[in-house]
Amino acid sequence: MKFQGVDYYQIDELLSEDEKMTRNLVREFLEKELEPLVVDAFHEEKPLDMRALAPKMGELGMIGACLPEEYGGNGANYVTFGLICQEVERVDSALRSYIAVQFGLVSYAIFRYGSEEQKQKWLPSIARGEKIGCFGLTEPNHGSDAGAMETVAKKDADGWVINGTKQWITESSVADFAVVWAKTDEGVRGFIVERGTEGFSPTSQSRKGSMRASDVGELGFSDCRIPLENALPEVKGLSAPLSCLSQARYGISWGAIGMAMDCYETALNYAKEREQFGAPIAAYQLVQEKLVTMLIEITKAQLLSYRLGRLMDDGKANYAQISMAKKNNVSIARMCARLARETLGANGISLDYSPIRHMANVESVYTYEGTDDMHTLILGQDITGIPAFRRQL
Amino acid sequence: MTVNIIVCVKQVIDPEAPPSSFKVDEAGKKVVPPSGVPPVISPFDENAVEAALRVKDAQGGKITVLSMGVNLLREVVKKPLSMGADEIVLLEDEAFTDGDSWSNARALAMAVKKIGEYDLIFCGRQAADWDDGQVGSGIAEILELPCVTVARKIDVANGKAVVERVTADGYEVIEVSLPALITVSNELGEARYPTIKGIMAAKKIEPLVWTPADIGLEPAQAGAAGRKMNLEKLYQPVHEGKCEIIEGESPEEAGVNLALKLREAKLL
Repeated sequence: MKFQGVDYYQIDELLSEDEKMTRNLVREFLEKELEPLVVDAFHEEKPLDMRALAPKMGELGMIGACLPEEYGGNGANYVTFGLICQEVERVDSALRSYIAVQFGLVSYAIFRYGSEEQKQKWLPSIARGEKIGCFGLTEPNHGSDAGAMETVAKKDADGWVINGTKQWITESSVADFAVVWAKTDEGVRGFIVERGTEGFSPTSQSRKGSMRASDVGELGFSDCRIPLENALPEVKGLSAPLSCLSQARYGISWGAIGMAMDCYETALNYAKEREQFGAPIAAYQLVQEKLVTMLIEITKAQLLSYRLGRLMDDGKANYAQISMAKKNNVSIARMCARLARETLGANGISLDYSPIRHMANVESVYTYEGTDDMHTLILGQDITGIPAFRRQL
Repeated sequence: MTVNIIVCVKQVIDPEAPPSSFKVDEAGKKVVPPSGVPPVISPFDENAVEAALRVKDAQGGKITVLSMGVNLLREVVKKPLSMGADEIVLLEDEAFTDGDSWSNARALAMAVKKIGEYDLIFCGRQAADWDDGQVGSGIAEILELPCVTVARKIDVANGKAVVERVTADGYEVIEVSLPALITVSNELGEARYPTIKGIMAAKKIEPLVWTPADIGLEPAQAGAAGRKMNLEKLYQPVHEGKCEIIEGESPEEAGVNLALKLREAKLL
């Protein structure tokens, strides 16, 4: 059955005409074109073929919606980006990961810190879905503690030489290029490394229990030499990759709402149809409590992300506010997935219903782009002024 | 030649809304709009928009969208603009509500006259709410235009349109001089998706909003007041599902028993 949206507080009335039209477009496209592909991709751990799907998404303008027109975008606002993330993650987190990485991490890094040549070379083709990028920050030994990264880049007369390993990289094996962060004598810097460069070996990871429809893997750099002009010129320091993470985290806060909406809707429809002890299970108080809890948390999450989106559009949002939305909304999506799975009883463990897939996916989302704990510490530092990230032992 | 096309589109209750949300107010003889289910453009009208866009792609020209009703949601009725149409006119006034095919066709025909220059008028073959399928041919009659219904393909050249018209056992090819009215069927193919670029462009297009007076109609000639057809009764039929398994010693005997049972029920 066609999804009609979850809007208990008439939040739609707060959205502009173009925001609603974009949401409706993405919803229609996803339901017709992508939703049918997701379950098999997840079940078989055969990542969605983004090489084939991305151009279709690009044609509609979904990938670079927020980029300025001169770089292939449509100049859409952050609320629109959020609504796109919501709709794609309602279908599967793998798709939202793709969108958040292409816009929030890769395009934003190049747009904000790249040269004009780099912007012209990459941004329009990413927006069209012709090129796919990935973003290398996390390492096997350094996740939350990204500042301690071991990947290094050395400069010589001919260019930069990169050595190190990046892990848990979305679109690693399919990407045409990677935006890679490495330590240099000048601090942390970003580099564009194209597929096929000698010494660059991207791989895909299997045996995942989560994000099984997504291409996730490692990027290996062994004396990988790139030209001088492949460094992002406008950046020195860890604040640059962290600013990209803020963009993606914002998108995740909306994506998590989509995931929670899908779980709620699935549970509500099931509860109204499934009969036990002579009545639909929706007639029982324990089931109603689960449904109401989901609806209340979804509504609160919607208001949080809506307000955050407007703050982003006004240039007033800070990274701690983004942390609050990411932390809260992913947590409630995790809870909704679990409650929906419970409501579906034994059927809840079948991939014929979406909650168990969302339940597995949300474990990745709970951890990536800043773990839930790290967002607590970011907020803790923001309200007390005292960082609690490090401890001297 | 470039071609100017007017496409009539109707905002309807989403035909894909859950059946449980469909309610009828029998006393008021009205369908109650389901809460929480946003309306959509009637799907056949989206086919008509697609037909117009294909002509525009091939020939160039201008597409004007024409819609009528009350509480027309801009994010719904402007969808054709986000697909590539150029302008939109809305007959939006309380006086236009609850019309029948006659009063609706008359109001739309008057609006078409006011829009002025056109080569083609496209409508969906029927609306997804009442399924009457009469408004398109009604507009053609009032405007004294040739009308081709249930089109699946339209080619325009040299002041004429060549139309493939769906029939019960295939299709027939009809050549019609312009201006003409054509109703479009789903056999034309899926309507294209809007694009976000198109949505941003549509945002900048302000609809022209006309009342009955703007198109030369008295309020008594529009909507419910202008009806020529009286709706006697509107109700939801009760569907009773009964299932009886007809058995037999062999499949053949079960078939005979089924036939006897159907004859007994006067269904054969």
